[in-house]
Amino acid sequence: MRLGRLAVAAIVILGYGFVLAPLVLVLVASLAGGQTHYVVFPPTSLSFEWYLRLPVAYLRPALTSVAVALGACLVSMVLGVLAAFGLVRGRLPGRNLLRAYFNAPLQIPFVVTGIVFLQFYYALYGLVGVRVLGSVWGLLGVHVFITLPYMIGTVGAVLERFDPSLEEAALTLGASRWSTLRRVTLPVIKPGIIAGALYAFVVSFGDVPASMFVVSEQTMTLPVRLFYAVEFDYTPALLALCSVVVVLSLALIFGMQRVLGLDLVLRGRTGA
Amino acid sequence: MSDPMRLRWRLFVIPPLLVSFVLFVAPQVAFLRGSFFRNLGFGQVGPDLTLENYVRFVTDGFYQAALARTAGLSLAAALLALLLGFPIAYRLARARTRWRSFWLTLLIASSLITVVIKALGMMILLSAHGPVNLALQALGVPGAPLPLLNNEVGVLAGLVHYILPLVVLTLFGVIQTIPESLEAASRSLGATGWRTVRRVVLPLALPGLVAAGLMGFNLAMGAFTSTALLGGGRVLTLPVLIQRKAVLEGDYPFAATLALVLVLSGVVVNLIVLRSVARPRHLAVAGAGS
Repeated sequence: MRLGRLAVAAIVILGYGFVLAPLVLVLVASLAGGQTHYVVFPPTSLSFEWYLRLPVAYLRPALTSVAVALGACLVSMVLGVLAAFGLVRGRLPGRNLLRAYFNAPLQIPFVVTGIVFLQFYYALYGLVGVRVLGSVWGLLGVHVFITLPYMIGTVGAVLERFDPSLEEAALTLGASRWSTLRRVTLPVIKPGIIAGALYAFVVSFGDVPASMFVVSEQTMTLPVRLFYAVEFDYTPALLALCSVVVVLSLALIFGMQRVLGLDLVLRGRTGA
Repeated sequence: MSDPMRLRWRLFVIPPLLVSFVLFVAPQVAFLRGSFFRNLGFGQVGPDLTLENYVRFVTDGFYQAALARTAGLSLAAALLALLLGFPIAYRLARARTRWRSFWLTLLIASSLITVVIKALGMMILLSAHGPVNLALQALGVPGAPLPLLNNEVGVLAGLVHYILPLVVLTLFGVIQTIPESLEAASRSLGATGWRTVRRVVLPLALPGLVAAGLMGFNLAMGAFTSTALLGGGRVLTLPVLIQRKAVLEGDYPFAATLALVLVLSGVVVNLIVLRSVARPRHLAVAGAGS
């Protein structure tokens, strides 16, 4: 009994240690001072010097990433809310099938998604002469594709629990359709929308394999740029940059958990 | 709800359906259709339907080895994640502290941070002078520092790291639905703690274990970023090969062939496991990997 408990405790510590170690190491190694071309661990001297030398070359990719993630968030939000209402309220026959269909983007390896879009954009150029490959719009298409399932999932989840008699009560009491929507329906589904937006944003912001095929030098996203940098030209300043991203991500997710509660944040992760 | 109202709600599905058709069905079909044509280079394909891409896959041992490597690493990663994840999820589900949501959120956060950064951290962890090798040397392990990067060990570590938080979160949800009173009953009837876990908790959690294991397996099968970085281009799994075929060789038909093989073999493994183990209700087997 006691041995069992000890074993469980050991696994818990080992597991959490393993999950957190890479993030902690990036944070710690970013504080190593001195000019080096490789990771020094443990750091021989502590300094924030790399934070003062955040590479300017990453500013544009960072802005692109944020812009595309926000755009994907917004488009997914509109489409996701529509789909969730249709699926839940419309009681469509075979809606489980439809749900599976909307969730399908998460069943395809993202690297495949990336190539599919690359080819699709080539074809689009060939057929209609519209050039989206390498543009922000092309990137946006990919990101809407991979974020929509999360949005439908979280909004659908709150909508399932929503009691329509609340709306009927508002309507009987003389509220117009519009004010019912604004004052009753929206406040109830808002947490679902926010949770979906959170997932959409971080999935979009962090993606490499789906994006790497459709970006150009001008529209390179931050993770794709980092991917090539880690692979080919590593500098310690990268660690400082990554640390900034880690800290911001942690703040965003812990903040969301405070605002929304754990339940909804947990729900979003498997999509529709 | 009145019927005309319901009809109106149904109309809401049309715009998202159209958009996802344009973004999803049409390109995927076109891409997979390409696997039945001969590659002429520069994005051109031959005019005639052919199975030669599939014949190439079946007759070339290199690609079958890649498939076996992909599936083997994914299976190992899923099993390791279950082995580590179950005790963690159990402990979290039975904890009553207000810290629980902190530890759960930490897992969510770590699963959401971009894979590139986690892979970079993993490179530091496993490097020749990294903490793991320092510890091994301190313990006097022969041969230390061991090569843990640019090989299957590094790739496996990356895969486990990638899926473990998601496996724990899934298992947590399952174990939470098992009433703790059942365990108390089992213990009061004289069962030891281990026996209670084995005879009460595990059987009830089995559907969840299957679902979580398959989710982890599916994510690992599709994993590209961490494998490419931690394998250092030397561990060729199907996702890595697919990227190479498309980008370096411009051979889209064969990339499509490999993609179809990858997805179908994942589906086959899922079906076999589901048939042979259990039939969990509400199976949300999700995940495709980034």
